[in-house]
Amino acid sequence: MNNIIDLKNKDKAASSHTKKETLLEVINLKTHYPIKGGFFRRTISHVKAVDNVSFSVKKGETLGLVGESGCGKSTAGRTILKLLNPTAGKIMFDGEDITNLRGSKLRQRRKDFQMVFQDPYASLNPMQMVGDIITEPIHNYYPKKKSREIKQEVLELLNRVGLPDDAYYKYAHEFSGGQRQRIGIARALALKPKLIIADEPVSALDVSVQSQVLNLLNELQDDFDLTYLFIAHDLSVVKHMSDRIGIMYLGHIVEIADKHSIYKEPLHPYTQALISAVPEPDPKRKKQRIVLQGDVPSPENPPSGCPFHTRCPMAVDKCSTITPELKEVKPGHHAACILVD
Amino acid sequence: MAELADKTNLHIKPQKRMSPWAVARRKFMKNKLAMVSLFFLMTISILSFLAPYITTADISRVNIGSMSLEPSAEHWFGTDKSGRDVFTRLLYGGRVSLLVGISCTMLIIMFGTLIGALAGFFGGLVDTMLMRFTDFILNFPLLVFVIVLNAVFFGKLGGVPVLIAVISVLGWGGVARLVRSKILSEKENEYILSAISIGSRPSKVILKHLIPNVLSTIIVQATITFAAMIVVESGLSYLGFGVPAETPSWGNMLSASREPDVLQNMPWIWIPPALTLIITILSINFIGEGIKDALNPKSLR
Repeated sequence: MNNIIDLKNKDKAASSHTKKETLLEVINLKTHYPIKGGFFRRTISHVKAVDNVSFSVKKGETLGLVGESGCGKSTAGRTILKLLNPTAGKIMFDGEDITNLRGSKLRQRRKDFQMVFQDPYASLNPMQMVGDIITEPIHNYYPKKKSREIKQEVLELLNRVGLPDDAYYKYAHEFSGGQRQRIGIARALALKPKLIIADEPVSALDVSVQSQVLNLLNELQDDFDLTYLFIAHDLSVVKHMSDRIGIMYLGHIVEIADKHSIYKEPLHPYTQALISAVPEPDPKRKKQRIVLQGDVPSPENPPSGCPFHTRCPMAVDKCSTITPELKEVKPGHHAACILVD
Repeated sequence: MAELADKTNLHIKPQKRMSPWAVARRKFMKNKLAMVSLFFLMTISILSFLAPYITTADISRVNIGSMSLEPSAEHWFGTDKSGRDVFTRLLYGGRVSLLVGISCTMLIIMFGTLIGALAGFFGGLVDTMLMRFTDFILNFPLLVFVIVLNAVFFGKLGGVPVLIAVISVLGWGGVARLVRSKILSEKENEYILSAISIGSRPSKVILKHLIPNVLSTIIVQATITFAAMIVVESGLSYLGFGVPAETPSWGNMLSASREPDVLQNMPWIWIPPALTLIITILSINFIGEGIKDALNPKSLR
């Protein structure tokens, strides 16, 4: 609770984030899905869902991960939680390398990182009562705890996420999408984790409910000392939630910086196109809209050089041969483009 | 937080909640055909179970004095060519037929579910090996195998338990495939990922999350298997390769009709077991159909 003051002045906290401890560090993470085919089901090629992604998240901050669908942001989130096995790279969580943890050691560590899932309808077991859904994680890690205590804890959690006591004995199908997402959040909170990866937690909800859930997530961050990795495709949602934002394209992070830099002076052409697509509430202010041509290339067969050069309005010849590295252009502002210097 | 804790009420009573099972039960109760079938099946089961209390006639003793009698007040369904009371044998035969059916079904469902769930959940090498083993089992011709085994063990082992064991060991392949395919699609749901991420062991994920959600398919498959197993038992017994001839079963009783004289002139010997068999299998299938409708959230019946 000692960094509540920091969190209240979130912007200040963001600008001074370099001083804080790193909770999660991802180094050159790759997740490739094999494509099997042929008579003996050999591996023909790979879908490079996440390719060479590196970033770090400080304690107490929120890193937003944005990108269009299929860019690998969900895969990245799931790989970090070890729900998928990384192909290469390193995941450091709280100073410990969790990349190759398996079995009971991994299970013991899972307590500290939880996930809020995208689809509130598919992420709750339809055969379980809400009470059982939230009890399960506590029971997994504290099997000796008295059921009375666990129940008390579960009821507190339910109240904390804004659900009444009698939700305990109801089934998931008796709730609306927003309420279901609250149940999912309560389940993720039950183990008092340090990191929560929210995988598009509001994209399946009505706009009116979205803001309630987002505000709940913000409040909980203060109360429970949480660090968020917030995955979304809605720029305004990410802006509302995050301290820093990473932009993903085709399995790569093309730009990462604190949210003000991203919005005020986006450096990467892809980021510029994304920001220009955000609707402007003031009709008098005319913005230039950058419309990208073509489709996202297949991650099975990504373009050579810069992955974005096939659609980039500023592309030059060498873009197709040189793969740009993510480098620090300004303090705390990284971009992967050879034209930015 | 402390205030919240004071306010929460630990003694909330579980109200009458409609669990998915309760909804299905209510739908099933409304299905008249299924309920009549259930009633009939229960009646047959109870009568067979209580056979020793209902009739006192000896099932195996040959009675030369009363051979091939027509139905009468003393012998409700008449007697067969060895002078045994047909009604008594029908009840005892039900015991054997239903016992073989239920035992085989339980073993087949248990084994098939276990193999299918493991293969579907773990995938990869485990899946490949278990499924090739399943293919191997599926390729065994059941009838031929049972007949050969019967010839090999003739007079030594024989009897109902061996028949149950052989049918079960060779019969689980289809169930394993079905369960595997259901598990494969069910495990793509995010609640399975979430169960892993909240630290549930694989055994718990399978037993608490996957199996309950594919249980409806398994139950429906169990009813179909139950009916099929009764038919298999009767078929084998009719051919003389099932339960030993002196043990009454519906199939054994039917085999009497292999004699043209019985088939033509003594219908009371073979019609009771034939009718019971038909109606039992029909009711099991109607019950299965009813359960299928009840568990399907899209059906409005």
